Amino acid sequence: MHRLYWKIFLAFWLSLVFFVTVTLVAASYYLQQTRARAADVNPHQRHMTLLREARGIAGSEGIAGLERWLTRLDRREVTPYYLLDEQGRDLLGRPLPPDLEIRLARQRSPMGQMGQMSDMMMRPAMAIRVASGRSFQLVPDFQGVNMWRVLGRPRVFALPLLVTALLSGLLCYWLARYLLRPIKELREATQAMAGGDFAQRVVPGLGGRRDEIADLAHDFDHMAARIEQLMTSQMQLLGDISHELRSPLARLVVALELAQQKQGGESTAEFERIALETERMNELIGQLLALSRMESGTGKIANETVDVNALLERLVENSNFEIATDDRRAVIVETVPAAIDGDPALLTSAFENVIRNAARYTAPGTTVEVAARIRESRLEVRVRDHGPGITAAMLDRVFDPFVRVGDARDRASGGYGLGLAIARRAILLHGGEIAAANHLHGGLEITIRLPLTAGRRRSGSGL
Amino acid sequence: MHSLLLADDDTELCDMLRQYLEAEDFAVTAVHDGEAALAEARSGRHELAVLDIMMPRMSGLDVLRELRRESQLPVLILTARGDDVDSIVGLELGADDYLPKPASPRVLVARIRALLRRATASVPAEATAPVHITLGDLDIHTGARSVELNGSPVPMTSTEYSLLEYLARGAGRVIDKEELSQQVLGRKLEAYDRGIDMHVSNLRRKLGPLPGGEERIKTVRGVGYQYVLDED
Repeated sequence: MHRLYWKIFLAFWLSLVFFVTVTLVAASYYLQQTRARAADVNPHQRHMTLLREARGIAGSEGIAGLERWLTRLDRREVTPYYLLDEQGRDLLGRPLPPDLEIRLARQRSPMGQMGQMSDMMMRPAMAIRVASGRSFQLVPDFQGVNMWRVLGRPRVFALPLLVTALLSGLLCYWLARYLLRPIKELREATQAMAGGDFAQRVVPGLGGRRDEIADLAHDFDHMAARIEQLMTSQMQLLGDISHELRSPLARLVVALELAQQKQGGESTAEFERIALETERMNELIGQLLALSRMESGTGKIANETVDVNALLERLVENSNFEIATDDRRAVIVETVPAAIDGDPALLTSAFENVIRNAARYTAPGTTVEVAARIRESRLEVRVRDHGPGITAAMLDRVFDPFVRVGDARDRASGGYGLGLAIARRAILLHGGEIAAANHLHGGLEITIRLPLTAGRRRSGSGL
Repeated sequence: MHSLLLADDDTELCDMLRQYLEAEDFAVTAVHDGEAALAEARSGRHELAVLDIMMPRMSGLDVLRELRRESQLPVLILTARGDDVDSIVGLELGADDYLPKPASPRVLVARIRALLRRATASVPAEATAPVHITLGDLDIHTGARSVELNGSPVPMTSTEYSLLEYLARGAGRVIDKEELSQQVLGRKLEAYDRGIDMHVSNLRRKLGPLPGGEERIKTVRGVGYQYVLDED
């Protein structure tokens, strides 16, 4: 099936045929009109008008003026006019068409002295006399109106040309739009997919179109569905594994404390170490579960009004409590009264992960600065640390799960883990955006932007 | 010695938890499915039930729903960490508190003790003085830990009762959630903690608005709650 092939072929072909046809029709129509005017619209009067003009010019400007007048007239009129002297030569020296010669010769003979319209124009009374004594006859050659004369006079030809250009332009505009609209949709869907939204489909937006592009759209949708299914099952597997890991971990926690209890409640360094690692593992599993739940679209998203100020304050306080052993602190440097619609748990985990991450990387003795403000009627929260920052090439990837940005310390600490991946997912689900940048004066700065009121969430992603 | 009901389908976990709890001077009955849990809870032999949500035959939430039809036995539910829906539904159904799994036995014991303290009538000395609080149409008997609305008793869990009593004692004052969590639930308010909110919404449902049509327990956004004094 080559529907599109035929569409393009026919559109170009038809548009060419159309253009040529319209040009021909317009030209011949005009030709007809001119001939009809010459024949019907009182040719005598027209002739007399021109004659008067010529006589006036001959009287005032002589031969030279008459030549200029005739040149202008010829340029304007489709019908050729000749000014013939007594010898039958044209004033501008143009050769006479043979049929006109024949006519003139016939009229000069006594046989042709009567009847015909052009004849009276040849009478001596119609002569144009110049001061030098020469006299001329004004002779129109109606047979001389032809296609070349019409095409050579743009003023005559402008309107049909314009109409044709406009019509064929419209046709081509429609064709281009028709061809490119689905391509634009495909492109948008591809971009959305690259951005992580696998729920995009193109075919429903094409309105029953059936051609090569529609085939491509079908294939695209098929691919998108397959990838979505793969992603979902991968996330579900991850979720299932995490869930199953919880049970042995729960037993481990109880066994550990049971052992401690049997030791008489005494806590050795080793016990504490096991407890700490268990808690880390537990946290990781929790993060995996949270991420898989968000990515696979299972679970529900609440829609409540969340007070951002209170949320940030509590998180900063909690984070300071967690890192109390160090001389690092988180502070709110700028605040604004703002409320956003969304899921408080998801928003909490988003901000919590970003602040926690910053607190982990900021250098000892420095602070993590949290600033909230309204910009372009959206909430903008910036979290900046005074750590080493990351290379520009890794700025986008920092939101990928378990990405390692490269330095040794990072490898030891297990990379960025899942925190920022969770934060990004949660922010995206709230119709916001999150970006990382190195601050001008060192350190990493994460910027989160969220719609302030009635944040529209993508439907279809379920969560 | 307090008698506890422990319902969790993980038998090995139950065994270890029982050992731990028995060492802490509790008598523990362990069951491993929902139906057995409901039967035990109804028997009246236990002072408190610890219910896991994920159980065969009958989920912990279903057990709780059935149990609350007839009993105000203090119930602590174990939820999967990160699954806030379960904890919210559980509190809505009348659970007294929740603990995310995997739970540290130490924390579990602390929660159980706090719940038992609330449930027993032996309130701290300073609170024993007023035996009867009357607020408009509401009568609270602190001795019997019972509540009457327009003379008819309103059944409520011990946590709901404690919360109502605390709010009523401070009627007209805005009490922040941190204080309520500390005083009523006996624990620190967590980062995303719906405990107090859910108990308050249960109280609202059971007590309805004030006779004047005004809300009985007002939410002060970002701060906490206030028992509204009727102006009539």
